[in-house]
Amino acid sequence: MKQNTFYFLTGIIGLAEVGFFWISVVLRNPAIIVVTFILGVLLIYASRRTISDRTDDERSALITQKAGARTLEIFWILFFAISLGSLVMGFATPLGIPPPPKPFPRVPHDEPNLGYFGLLQMILLCGMVFLYIGFRVYYARKYGEWDKDEE
Amino acid sequence: MKNKIKVFRAMHNLTQDALAQEMGVARQTILAIEKGKYDPSLDLAFKIARRFGVNINDVFMYDEI
Repeated sequence: MKQNTFYFLTGIIGLAEVGFFWISVVLRNPAIIVVTFILGVLLIYASRRTISDRTDDERSALITQKAGARTLEIFWILFFAISLGSLVMGFATPLGIPPPPKPFPRVPHDEPNLGYFGLLQMILLCGMVFLYIGFRVYYARKYGEWDKDEE
Repeated sequence: MKNKIKVFRAMHNLTQDALAQEMGVARQTILAIEKGKYDPSLDLAFKIARRFGVNINDVFMYDEI
């Protein structure tokens, strides 16, 4: 497979994932997007191995490694913070265990809005993708990915 | 780290692409090494030096600041 064909296939898979995400929201079934996302990523990884006009070597591995590490370095803090917020939201609702002697003070109007929570998660995921791309471009440029040939 | 890959390539009449194929790396990697943007692994550095039939010190020079 040519590299441009791979990029084309990746774009189609990306568009399909957006469609599956929409179907998942409409049908209120998270399993659809979860399963199709995993399948899509597996398909991309499998097709990447068949690229014939590209050489993966130690420099490209270094670029991938550095971009991934930097992205995770920043995002573990954000994901940890969001997870803490999710814990608070989870504990703010009935847990299915016997209630404590004094019930938690709760006002129904102050219940967290899960729609906004979904939006926040979406912003985080998109942010992670853009951050990774940014770091990838930075390190690719640093290690001469788009330098012009002097020959 | 400085290097003389370009000089040795010229002496052996090798293109970047040809050297890259012999070393099993991308042409961009040879270009990045020549420009000093990427320091190769010891393995690759030894392979390049061996290809030109010289010691690694003759191709790569540690550039002390």
